[in-house]
Amino acid sequence: MPKQAMRMLMLILVLAIVAGCSGNNQPSPGTGTAEGSGETPQVQGPTKFSISMRTLNVAYVEKHPDINKDPYVQALEEMTNTDLDIRLIPHNEYQDKMVQMFATNDIPDVVQGSGGISGPELAGAVENGVFLPLNDLLEEHGKDLLAFIPEEAWARMTDSKTGNIYGIPEILSNPSRRATWIRTDLLEQVGKDIPTTVEETLEVLRAFKEAGVEQPFAGRQNFKYADTFFGAYDVLGYLNQFKLFPDGQVKPNFFDVDNMKAAIGIYKTMHDEGLISREFATIESTDFRSIVTSGKAGMWSMNANELPIWGAQLMENVPDARVALIPSPTGPDGGGGYAHYNPVTRSFYINKKAEDKAAEIVQFFNWMVSDEAELFFSYGLEGEDYTMVNGEPSFEVPTDTAGTDKMRYLNYWLWLVQDTTYNKMVSSLTETGQQMIDAFDNMLAHEGRKGIEFDPRLEALIRYPDLNPKSDEMPPLILEHVLRMVYGREEIDNYEAVLDEYLSKGGKEIIEEATARYNNQENAFE
Amino acid sequence: MEATTAAQTTLTKKEQPRDKRRVLRFMWKYKALYLLSLPGILYFLIFKYIPLMGSVIAFQNYNLFAGFSGSPWVGLEHFTRMFSHYDFLNILKNTLLLGIYDITFAFTAPIILALLLNEVRMVLYKKVVQTVIYAPHFLSWVIVSGIFIGVLSPSSGVANTMLGWFGLGPIYFLGEDSYIRSVLVGSGLWRDVGWGTIIYLAALASINPDLYEAAEMDGAGRWRQMLSITLPALLPVITILFLLKMGDFLDYGFERVFVFQNPLNIRNSEILDTYIYKAGLTQMQYSYATAIGLFKSVVGLFLLAIANTLSKKATGESLY
Repeated sequence: MPKQAMRMLMLILVLAIVAGCSGNNQPSPGTGTAEGSGETPQVQGPTKFSISMRTLNVAYVEKHPDINKDPYVQALEEMTNTDLDIRLIPHNEYQDKMVQMFATNDIPDVVQGSGGISGPELAGAVENGVFLPLNDLLEEHGKDLLAFIPEEAWARMTDSKTGNIYGIPEILSNPSRRATWIRTDLLEQVGKDIPTTVEETLEVLRAFKEAGVEQPFAGRQNFKYADTFFGAYDVLGYLNQFKLFPDGQVKPNFFDVDNMKAAIGIYKTMHDEGLISREFATIESTDFRSIVTSGKAGMWSMNANELPIWGAQLMENVPDARVALIPSPTGPDGGGGYAHYNPVTRSFYINKKAEDKAAEIVQFFNWMVSDEAELFFSYGLEGEDYTMVNGEPSFEVPTDTAGTDKMRYLNYWLWLVQDTTYNKMVSSLTETGQQMIDAFDNMLAHEGRKGIEFDPRLEALIRYPDLNPKSDEMPPLILEHVLRMVYGREEIDNYEAVLDEYLSKGGKEIIEEATARYNNQENAFE
Repeated sequence: MEATTAAQTTLTKKEQPRDKRRVLRFMWKYKALYLLSLPGILYFLIFKYIPLMGSVIAFQNYNLFAGFSGSPWVGLEHFTRMFSHYDFLNILKNTLLLGIYDITFAFTAPIILALLLNEVRMVLYKKVVQTVIYAPHFLSWVIVSGIFIGVLSPSSGVANTMLGWFGLGPIYFLGEDSYIRSVLVGSGLWRDVGWGTIIYLAALASINPDLYEAAEMDGAGRWRQMLSITLPALLPVITILFLLKMGDFLDYGFERVFVFQNPLNIRNSEILDTYIYKAGLTQMQYSYATAIGLFKSVVGLFLLAIANTLSKKATGESLY
């Protein structure tokens, strides 16, 4: 190789290495902070801070080339005198990315969590002192937040040992979020009334079957969104479904043997008679949705706030279809419904390193519960999305995909602190929206199952993953046996043996810990 | 990169520098080659060797915020916990069985397929077949599982419709312990068999056609030619790939199993990879997950060493 050429090559290589290495230094998180704090307080330029947010499957956000340049984000910045640096965290990799963020110590000024202060996505950051206690700041700058957010939501943000509040919660005032849906046109066709008890429901399902409905009750993998009858018998067995038994012990509610056997029996009957798909154990969420919206199902369970969307899709495919939310079937105790949701949907934590601008950040969140914020996040920008007529905003609810995507983004994603049950201003404008509000306020508010919940979760549950339930799934060990019983591979009468197995494989420790924590009122929520 | 290092070693052997100064002078002489190899060496050091040290967390109670230096040491606690887990033997059995099936079917199938393709005379037909069988490799496991769940569905799947013609079934393939291993191995076979033939086809293309001509002159049929020429020529490639495969014996893969799992088949489908995910990563038990992963790697290394020694003795082919 000629010498000249070789020197050139070496030069290029060296340059490449230098460029490659220095590239990593550029997005240094410290620079933004330094600039913001360097200014004197009198100038009061916009407060600059970074915030990490999960994309939550919101199409508008996920498709956006640069969310920080979005007109709505910029309008928000103008209204709150801030300069946001939103760092998106992909919905499906949320936990991994959050843990990476903490592990590499590249933590933004504000971190969005989901649920309580000990959620797995926070990786123990609160215990390890990454975030600022907010008690004094809230007293001084967050009065509206303190007034708006109920005590039970603050309790989830509080370390019960020190009394420190670590996060600002977004709330769900009506934790009964899932509902029982039924095709009222089919109900009319078979000449039945709306069923109220489990027995009546089975009769309706049988009538649906006779009338040729393919899946009278839409089943789904692991009884997700198909747990109606476990709810009726109050044996859901999820994370927030611990119960104080007469023997003084706090146990998961599937220890209620008689009710559990009865509930499994109902599913077995439905399976044997073909009232539920015989392959429901492999039906995933997308299949479930298409089964429902293509009109193959007669009755199912879904989040009530999906009524406008699922209802419209169903009627597009089956023009005669009519759908309604009905009270969930009741069991022997007269109750029914689905597991309650956590009263906190999203939560926001302030990094200790951002202490110098924490006051402004709290003010920013405080603004979220103002009337100005409600109008902006419900309808959008004046002149562009809505007009003022005689001092009243006039808004038309969009029906196309782009429009609904934008509404979801504004109503749900960008509005950081609100009551997420439903958007009152938008929903009250349409008929299905009003139906949904009515269902939430007058029906769902009175149903649903809630037991004792521990947050942070029980240590023993972490040690025994097979016994660890999810927020809407039974522990794997129990689920496995229950499914085998429904599919006729095991006798329902063997259920006591399943509980013995549960106890011998670590369940004893779970119950001991649960009972002790319940008795000491140590972060146990009822 | 590899070519450069290879060139270096031959040069070193030729010149045999005896003292340090000569080594340095020698290196200076070939500085361009050394410089060229630098990024590669750095890559392996930074991204492969340094992260290996992270395995120490298997012997700690790793805390994300305290780091390696701040986390307490716990010795072999996580390993004891793993071996004493009530389901450990079953999980290990599933992992081993799937590994054995994988070697027996998924490893041999591409060889047979490559040999078959090699015998196809019509070039166009051969190309079409190759493309068709490569294609599934580019599908993600989530999609593969979606396809298989559909095909194997007892109510609407093709497989059960066909069984119905013979008066059998319907069988809920994914809802039974006894079928899940076949489904797992079968789906892997369908997805990757075409991809696996590429290397063998390349090796087949490099066989000297004179050998076949000569064999034909001696009256050897196609079968004889395959046994005496094609297979021996492929043997080095087969051995190397087999050895590499042995190193991953316990790494059946997380995603491909996870997407097929449900409580009705879990008894035969839970393997170490899926267990690591459920018990370790989703519960933030990093040390525990690392301990299981380390166990897997050590077993893999052990198997690789055995297979390598055996193959060196038997065929003369080896990785190192």
